[in-house]
Amino acid sequence: MKTIYLYDGSFEGLLTAIYQSYYLKDKPDKIITEKIFQPNLLDQTYTIETDLEKSEKVYESIYRKISHKALRNVYHVYLSEEEEAATIIYQYLRLGWKIGASIESNLLDDRVMAVDKICLKVKKEKHWMLGLVRFQQLVGDFYYAVIEPKYNITGLISPHFLDRMGELNWMIHDKKRELASVCLDRQWVITDLDSNFSPQLDQSEKIYQSLWKEYFANLSIKERHNPKLQRKNMPAYYWNNLIEKQKDER
Amino acid sequence: MDIQEKLKILADSAKYDVSCSSSGSNRKHKSGGIGSTAVSGICHSWTDDGRCISLLKILYTNDCVYDCAYCVNRITNDIPRASFTPKEVADLTINFYKRNYIEGLFLSSAITRNPDHTMEGLTEVVRILREDYRFNGYIHLKGIPGADELLIAKAGLYVDRMSVNIELPSSEGLKLLAPQKKKENILKPMGLINRKIIQTIDEKKQFKKVSSFVPAGQSTQLIVGATADHDYKILQLTEGLYHKFNLKRVYYSAYVPVVQHPKLPEMINPPTIREHRLYQADWLLRFYGFSAEELLTEAQPNFDHELDPKITWALRNIHLFPIEINRADYEMLLRIPGIGVKSAQRIIAARKLAPISYDGLKKIGVVLKRTKFFVTCQGKYYGGIDVKEGLIRQSLLYKPVKRSTPSWQSHQLSFFTDLMPYNHN
Repeated sequence: MKTIYLYDGSFEGLLTAIYQSYYLKDKPDKIITEKIFQPNLLDQTYTIETDLEKSEKVYESIYRKISHKALRNVYHVYLSEEEEAATIIYQYLRLGWKIGASIESNLLDDRVMAVDKICLKVKKEKHWMLGLVRFQQLVGDFYYAVIEPKYNITGLISPHFLDRMGELNWMIHDKKRELASVCLDRQWVITDLDSNFSPQLDQSEKIYQSLWKEYFANLSIKERHNPKLQRKNMPAYYWNNLIEKQKDER
Repeated sequence: MDIQEKLKILADSAKYDVSCSSSGSNRKHKSGGIGSTAVSGICHSWTDDGRCISLLKILYTNDCVYDCAYCVNRITNDIPRASFTPKEVADLTINFYKRNYIEGLFLSSAITRNPDHTMEGLTEVVRILREDYRFNGYIHLKGIPGADELLIAKAGLYVDRMSVNIELPSSEGLKLLAPQKKKENILKPMGLINRKIIQTIDEKKQFKKVSSFVPAGQSTQLIVGATADHDYKILQLTEGLYHKFNLKRVYYSAYVPVVQHPKLPEMINPPTIREHRLYQADWLLRFYGFSAEELLTEAQPNFDHELDPKITWALRNIHLFPIEINRADYEMLLRIPGIGVKSAQRIIAARKLAPISYDGLKKIGVVLKRTKFFVTCQGKYYGGIDVKEGLIRQSLLYKPVKRSTPSWQSHQLSFFTDLMPYNHN
């Protein structure tokens, strides 16, 4: 019989679940979100009520007793939204509270490796998206971008765009998760946003889009044509929202 | 001529410049302006040839007075000509930047009228961007050989990176293919930029407020395969440039046969494998502690197309191997084929806690199919064959037949595949 903790999918919920396991001196086999849980007669399940105070305690204990890097790693794994993410985090933290900051150099431990592997994927996509976000100018000098990343990285990329174009007002819309990061007057927040949201473009927008496409097409050297390399560097998964990869309407 | 037409012509002419890097500068946003730079650089797209787009890479003009045989823009070539005004370039840059298409601008130019006139135009573009538009993103500017030193020094105050192209790896090559370009004219601005960079760094130690000068350093580019120069000569030149001028990067561009000329070699495809080997060797010089003399010799002046430069070095120095992974110092770890900078650092970190086994190496991310022939783990050798140059070479070159071929075909082929590795020698 397996013990399974169910949480609401929030980071706080996950940390509350970990708090509970320590409080009850219990060792759950799995921690997963209610959304993806599929009941099984043999499993013993507990539903965790998210508690901000408890989660705060766990949060603090991670960076005090393990390290800031461990906290960052854990958060990246959480954002991956992978099914095993919460369980992997739980096992990683158990080890962390046992051996402290040295967890970072414990590269060959399976629990550490599992975290590193997911972290790397999330960080890679984050870095990718810093380049692949495409803003479109809306009426009223507002810049709007649509993304559909594999992982929930909108919050990770927003500080970069705040620093870079904080003087402009902009929004990055994750249509897959129906959320958006909105920047107004040098401050950004994450908010819910329907995937049907489609604002009106500024007149000049189409001109620059067509200039960009022209540029993109002319920069390739025909003698070195290499679509395989292109796909390796820029997976086709992301092409949907790239201006330069849209067919011309003309 | 409208902007779209100009962009088409001037992007097309700029595409043979290979540098695209936007790295080396780390600058936060400035109030009232737009833009920042990221120290690691950011790629924004990849063209159909698989190369990355980071900067808006265009020519200011392709209206050239020179007649370099290898170049599409030479005066005697019959192609459409176009020129931007400084403001047009600045507007394009800003509008592409706001849409996050690019990290910044990489502006180069043909020589219009004379070097000074050209350099003045380029400087005006970057001045508008920095002063009028308060653009704070990345700018890479070409230094024009033969332009007045004062002009180059002025431009250096606005840009992140400057580069003067070596073009061809030897003076003889220049004489033959680019008679109006002189080695001295190319090396002089390089020396100037280097002196200014060093001077600025010194001044920054003493004074609080010093304007930065080319903070991301300078780079250069040379064409591979348009002249008879062999790899050894190119690599020695590269090494000299890194040591003497503190260059950040040397770029290599496989010669693309864009024009026919009696003085140019005849070829169908650009020598991309050669270019690739040079980049690998370039990395070995910069990050792995190798010298040009170790990688190539007068007797063996070109790289092996089948095997990478590090493996070739290791095979030539097989008496140094196998190396015990748990004892070798960092410098030696870096010299083992299949181990990169990251893996070497991870090996050092991991073995402090416990000795590394063969399985552990795999977990670290080492490329075992290469590394296994050159190391021992806790005294044990996993290569499976004697540590002999010929044997290892054969094993590394052996490529099994892909299973995607129909079974009857692979049966027929299997007779030959056994012989495959021997054929390569």
